[in-house]
Parts: sequence; C-alpha cells; structure tokens
Amino acid sequence: MSGENDLRKGSAELLILALLEERDRHGYELAKLIEDRSAGAIVFHVATLYPLLYRLERRGVINGRWVEKPGTRRRRFYRLTAEGQNVLRAQRRSWRAFFAALNRVARLRHA
Amino acid sequence: MPDWHAIVRARIGAIPVDPARESDIFDELAQHVAEHYADLVANGTPEDRAMDAALAPLADRARVRLAIARADRPRPSTPTPPAHGTSLIADLSADVRYAIRLLRRSPAFTAVALLTLAIGVGVNTATFSVLHAVLLRPLPFAQPSRLVMLGERAASGHASQVGYATFVDWKARTRSFDDLAIVRDWSATIAAAGEPRRVSGLRVSANYFRLLGVRPAIGRDFTAAEDDPAHWRVLILSDALWRRQFGADPSVVGRVVNIGDRDYTVVGVMPSGFDDLIGAHYYRPVEAWSLLGYDTSLSYACRTCQHLRGVGRLRAGATVASAASDLHQLHEQLRREHPADYPLQSDVTVEPLRSGIAGDVSGALALLMGAVALVLLIACANVANLLLARMGARAADLGLRAALGAGRSRIVRQLMTENAVIALAGGLGGVALTAAAMSGMTALAPEAVTRIARFRVDAPVLAFSAVVSMATAMVFGLLPALRAARVDLRSTIHGGGRIAGSGRAARLLLVGGEVALAVVLLIGAALTLQSVGRLLRVDPGFSSDGVLTLRTAMLGSAYATPEPVVAKTAQMLDRIRAVPGVASAAAASQVPLGGDGDRFGFHIQERPSSNPADDSSVERYGVTPDYFDVMRIPLLRGRLFTDADRSTAEMALIVSQHTARALFAGDDPLGKHVKIGGLEGPWHTIVGVVGDVRHADVGAGTDLEMYTCQWQVADSFLTIVVRGETAVPGDVTRALRSAAPDLPIYDVAPLRELLARSIAPQRFVMTLLAIFGAIALLLTAVGVYGVIASTIAERTREIGIRMALGAGPARVVRTVAGEGCAVVAAGVAAGLLLAGAAASWLRHDLYGISPTDPATLAFIALTVAAVAALAHAAPVLRAVRVDPSMALRHD
Repeated sequence: MSGENDLRKGSAELLILALLEERDRHGYELAKLIEDRSAGAIVFHVATLYPLLYRLERRGVINGRWVEKPGTRRRRFYRLTAEGQNVLRAQRRSWRAFFAALNRVARLRHA
Repeated sequence: MPDWHAIVRARIGAIPVDPARESDIFDELAQHVAEHYADLVANGTPEDRAMDAALAPLADRARVRLAIARADRPRPSTPTPPAHGTSLIADLSADVRYAIRLLRRSPAFTAVALLTLAIGVGVNTATFSVLHAVLLRPLPFAQPSRLVMLGERAASGHASQVGYATFVDWKARTRSFDDLAIVRDWSATIAAAGEPRRVSGLRVSANYFRLLGVRPAIGRDFTAAEDDPAHWRVLILSDALWRRQFGADPSVVGRVVNIGDRDYTVVGVMPSGFDDLIGAHYYRPVEAWSLLGYDTSLSYACRTCQHLRGVGRLRAGATVASAASDLHQLHEQLRREHPADYPLQSDVTVEPLRSGIAGDVSGALALLMGAVALVLLIACANVANLLLARMGARAADLGLRAALGAGRSRIVRQLMTENAVIALAGGLGGVALTAAAMSGMTALAPEAVTRIARFRVDAPVLAFSAVVSMATAMVFGLLPALRAARVDLRSTIHGGGRIAGSGRAARLLLVGGEVALAVVLLIGAALTLQSVGRLLRVDPGFSSDGVLTLRTAMLGSAYATPEPVVAKTAQMLDRIRAVPGVASAAAASQVPLGGDGDRFGFHIQERPSSNPADDSSVERYGVTPDYFDVMRIPLLRGRLFTDADRSTAEMALIVSQHTARALFAGDDPLGKHVKIGGLEGPWHTIVGVVGDVRHADVGAGTDLEMYTCQWQVADSFLTIVVRGETAVPGDVTRALRSAAPDLPIYDVAPLRELLARSIAPQRFVMTLLAIFGAIALLLTAVGVYGVIASTIAERTREIGIRMALGAGPARVVRTVAGEGCAVVAAGVAAGLLLAGAAASWLRHDLYGISPTDPATLAFIALTVAAVAALAHAAPVLRAVRVDPSMALRHD
C-alpha cells in the first residue's frame, strides 16, 4: 500500500464535505468536480466513491434524498447536515495544522 | 439506450443488504455509469470503448460488493443499554435481553466462553452424577440411613462374617436395634426346561424383608414358623427370574421348584424395581431368596463358623457410633464367656449400609471431584480473562451508562446478569456434554460402581449443575465486573474506549493461577497413571496368559458325599484335556483374584499356642494336582500333589512361601503337621512349598496361602482352569457339558479378565484423571495464549518504539515473552508447592510410587512449561514482525 493512496483516502472526506458545503450534489457530479478541480490529480471512480458516501451518510454527516424531474432519470442528491458542518470545520482545522507542520519540516513552499 | 440498471446489477451481483435498498444502490450506480458513458461519448469516444471505460471500475466485483455492503450495512450499533428501571424484575429482564443481544453480537467471544464453561461444568456434572448415584441416591429400602451392616471386624476394618451362635446372642442382648436379620450367600442350581442354570441367591432370616421395609409384589413374605431346619425350603423369586424362568406366570405361587434335588415351594415374587444390594456379588444380582433355617444345634451354627452377615435397623435415637459401642461391650462379654471362640484381637464393626456396599469407592470419587473442581477453576480463569480482555471494548458503552446516571452497583448488577446468562448457557452445554458422555462413563466404570449406580442426568444432577454454573458466574465474573465499576468510566468515553491497561496484572495473575492448578491436576493424573502401570506389571505369582476359567457347582443329593464329587471332577478334567488345543487342565475351589475367600485357622502341632483361637488363619485353595502346572506356580521345596494323594493316604498340605516364612519362623515346614479349621479334623502333613500368589487384589500385600488336594478334601464349587493358547472356549464348554449335563456352567472367562477386574476401580480413576488432565492442559494453553496475545497486542506501540529505537528481534522477544514466562514459571512453582501439600491425600490411592516422586514432578513441570511456551510462540512471532511505522500510528 502506497502512502499516496492513504493520503487520498484521508483527504477524500474533506473534499466531499467541502463540495457539499457549496450546495447539494449527486454522486457523479462530485466525482467530476473533484477530478476537474484537481486537474485530474485526484480521481474517484464509482467503486470507491459510493462506499464513502454511504459511510458518511450512515455517520449522519451527510444526508441523501432522491430527486425526480420529469424527463430525466431520478438522481440521489447529498446535503451536508449540521453535524457535517461541524465535522468539516474540524477537518479543515486539522488539515491546516497538518500542512503547516509539513511545511515547517519539509519546506513545501517558500515562506 | 442501454438498461444501465440491469447491466450494473449483472456486473456486481447480489449485494447482501435489504432488497429495496439494493435496488436503490443499483439505481444510483447505474445513474453514475450512465452519465460517465454519456460524457465519454459526447467527447468523441467510440460507444464500445466508452462502455468499457465506464464499467471498468466495477471489474473487481467481489471487492465492490464487499465495500458497498460494509459501508452501507447499518453498523451493528451498540444495542441501547436498558433504561434505568424502577422495578428489580423489569431491570433483570431488560438486563437479560440486553446480555443476549450483546452475546449474539460477538459470536467468537461467546463461542469460546460457552465452550470453556460447558467443558468445565460438563466434567463436574458427569462426575457428580457418578458420586450421586453411588453415595447419595437413596437406597431402595425404607429409611435406609438407619440400616447398618454388622459383623466381626475384618482386617480391612469392614464388617466381616459372623457365626450363627454369636448372632443369636447379639439379637437377644443388644438394645441399639429395632431388629437384626442375618443372611448367607446361596448358590442354587435350578433345573428347569433345558440346561441347569445357576442362580445367585441369598438365604435370609424370616424378618429380612420386613427389616428392609420391602414386601413381595406377588404372594407373601416368609414367616417365622418356616425359619427352622425342617421347614425352610420356601422360595421368593426376583422379578427377573420370575419372567425368565417362569414366563411371568401370575399363578407361580405354590409351584414346586427343584433345586439341587430338593423341592422348594414358591411363596412370592419381589417387585420389579427391587434390587437386593446386600447380595454378595456386586456384579450378579440376587435372583432368589430362601430361608436360613438354622438353629444352634447345627454343627455349622457355631461361633467360629463365620459365614453369615448381619443386617440391623437402628432403633430411633441410636447412632452408628452408639450401636457400635453397645455391640463392642457385648462382644467383650461374649469373649469372657467363650474364650476359646473369640481371638484376642477380634472386635465387631457396625457400618452404614451404603459404605458396606460401596466399599472403598468413596475415596476415589472424592479425588475425582477434587480433580474436576480444578478443571472448573481453570475454565473460570479462562472466562474471567476473556471478560477482562473484552472490558476494553465495553468501556465506551459502560461509560455512557455511567454518564447517563447509572450507579456503580447498577452497572455491576448488569454485568453480573450478563455473566449469569453466559454461565447458564455454558451450564446447559455442560449438561448436554454429560448426557452425551453417560454411556462412555458407564462402560468405563468398574462393576462395583455400576451395580449400585445407574448413571443418569436426573433432577438432583441438574440442580447440581445449575448451582455450579451460578457459582461459576460469581467466580469468573466478579473480578471483571468490579474492575469495570472501579475505573473512571466517564473518562473512557473520551479516551478512545479503553479501560486503561484492561487489568493486565489481574489477567497475568489469573494465568499464573491456572498454570498452578493445571500442574496440580496433571501431577495427580500422572501419578495415578504410573500407579496403575505398576499394578499392571505386578507379578501376581501365576501366569494368566492363555488360561480359560469356567465355574461349576456340584450340588444336590447326588454329590452329598466326597466320592461322586472326586469322580466327577476327574471325569470333567479328562474330557477337557481331550479337547484339541488344550495343553493342561485342573480344578480349584477358588482362583487368585477371583473375588472369593476361604480362610481356615492354621494350628501347627509342633508350635502349639495357648489359645487356638489366636492362631493365624490361612487362605485355602483346594486343587487337583495339575493346578500348579496350569497356573505356572513354581514348586520351591518338597513335592506337589500327585494322584496318589487319595483320602486313604496321609492328608497332604502344600503351603506358600510366605506362609512357610511367617508361621514357621525359620523352622523347616516340610513334614510338619497342621490342623486346619477347627481342632476336631485330621492332621495334615506339609509336603511342599510353592511360590506366593496375589489373592485378593494385585495391589494388596502377600497373603498367607495353603493348598489341599481335591482328591482328599473334595470341594463342590469348582473353578476349572484350562491352559491352551488355541483351545476354543466353546469346545471346552461343550466338553464340560458332555461330562456333566446335570451341572451349571457359568462365568466362562479368560483368567486375564479376573486380573483386569481386580484393578478396574484404579483404572477407572486413572482414565478419568487422564482425561481431566488433558482438558486442563488444553484450557490452560488456550488461556495462556489468549492473555499473551492480547497483552502483546496492547503493547504493539511500545514494541514499535523499541524497534524504532533500534531494538533487535531478540530484545523484543525478551521484552514481550519475559513477562509471560515469569508468570508461567511462578505458576509452575506454585503448582508444585500445592501438589506437595496435597500429597498426603493421594498417598492411599497410589501403588508403588511416592506422591512426591521427583521424576513425575519434574516431567509435569516441564510439560506444562513447554505447552505454555508453545502458546507464547505465535503472539511473540507476531510481535517480532511488528512494522515500527505501523505500530506508531496505532492508536
């Protein structure tokens, strides 16, 4: 198991919660946004994305609901819960601290 | 447009979730794949390639299925602890339901705990069922606790036989008894249709059944008027004999039955459940009773004619001790009145009926109960360890309860309820194991035990296992429960759900304790094993290999004088010698280890004593001349019997080496003259000295033995011994039958079996102890493994740090295994000390080996240490393979 993979797993939660903070989204939209905004550096495919979504939902961090519009297939939209907002805040804090620490040690960018 | 739902469903296969939810999941995944496909096609990818690319992430279907099911399955969230109820009953039932839910949630823990307890409770229940059957279950008599056996005191301390005249004086003069009855063994040959059958019987005084508090189911009891030398030939049948021999004929009363050429009138049939345990042979039920019919004028009713056994019913208020003291004073009085009839060292004995019947098994059973108690303690230690290990995982749940306001006593109560549920379930398993083991136990048990005891799982046995199970719950559960209540539960919610240390010290202590118990038990088992091994190797003084024994009895008017007995004996042996494969054949009044006894006073003409009643008594074997050859008993001095030793010649006597040494004190016994039995008989001349044989059992010391010649002293009850490796028992039996169609033939068995039977009780104890020892060792190994594995798992972080700091594998092994090894060593040492302390208890049950035999102690100590070390191996190897970087991340 590579370190990169682990890192990606740990960060995936943050990415999804952050994207849902903006507005409700469905699974494919989340995958596409992550791929686009990371310029293809981070890719979530169907087999990894949905287990993660279900786990988050079960923890009460996000909430999924089916939305049907005439003429289109029904889609499942996910929304950040109040608990999710707390978790996101906590995650942002700890990632920020983590990056600061990495930076101090490994000089990731010029001060 | 492809049907994406169907395609995805086909790709992934069934997901183990609720079907409605499964359909939703496929919908969602299908939606995703469809949009991906549409995007790819829109960007110019050919449709077939786009399809492949969109579905590619689902290629590893098993992993996808598992990942989704795992993520989606509602986490087995900790069942909500029962609310803080107001009523104790409501609390209890809520606690029980909660406990069952918890147990179902951790099947591995539940299985190991239940199996361990089932084994612990099972061996206890099984052993108790034997103990209960033998020592506790009521005997089939009215108020059996007031029944005693009485007789003159035998060397063993048990009640032995008594003469009729003595008994008459007892009955007239004692005040301790409501009533006294007397019995003698009786062997009857009933000539019914077909071949003659030997029936095991008792001759009893007329009050016998009334004294026991039983009465015939058909017909009537004996009457006092019938109990005299002229009228005693009336018969009461057992239910079994009535069914077998008389076809359960309800009009059997009044029938005349021919026994040994005499007519007996049937007067009654005993009920089917009545089992006369007073009968002489444990392994042969009494099937017929007749009257004793003595009066004091008969020659064999004398005081020294000790062949009867007394049964008494204690008067209300009398105890066994008071009756014994009363009878002792009476005996002193009788000795003053008849000094020639009672030896100086003689005394009388009163013993409870049950110990008179069960004999020496109570010690062995107590030993076995002690052994299974150790097994149960080891099982408890294991379960306590499991519970302590589990406390770590339970901490968050318990902390939550405490935070919600549950008091410590409430939490302890809930945990104890859980333990009780575990214990009861384990107990049920134990009872099931016992029921399954019943037939095996019965097959293993010696006949002396099974005769009185039909092992079964009945109400008292069930009650016992329930009590043991609940006591077990207290023993294994209290420590973990108190521990859980003591730690600061509120802090555990924040502390990642561990109870600090999880009682590592307590768990190591438990492991040390169980190692000690296992050592004690295994030492007991090993000593017994060696003891029985030595018994098996004891030279009994004769060779049983290839020897067949058959018994017969010459009874009735045809054999009332010696001549026809001698002639028939010779004729039977001649026929048997003609059977192909028979090398030699002889007859004897008894064989060694046959369970019989025939002791006679031994009065030496050349060494007269002041009171002949004080002369030693010697075991007599009446044999034909070939007996010594068949049995391979060596002649040491003088000569054996020959066919010339007929009654007209000088009466010849052969003594054993021990008799020669013990009774002649350095004199040459050859040519000395001896009277045997009373002083009125003829003088016998000692013509030879032969090797000693073990008479009563192989573990007993050497007895005094002598031999008379069947041609001179004709015995009617004979055991025929036949040597011949290739002789077929059926052929021998047929030859015997052709020579004596009027005689019963019974107990056809290899002589070897008599040897085996004589050590059957020891073998029974040995087998059970060996099984219990193996279980104890296994449980201990599991316990050591469990504790070492979990303490090492807890120390993974520490090990990682040590390795990161440069510690090599050897150092890691020393660190993690050192603690366990110290505990095991301490346990072994404590076990050796305990075994030393228990040594005196075991001494009486051992033959030829000291209870502190150093080799055995060392062997067991090393074995237990080796097994414990083996149980260390897997966890320690895991520790050495710890990846420091992983270990440090370990929370």
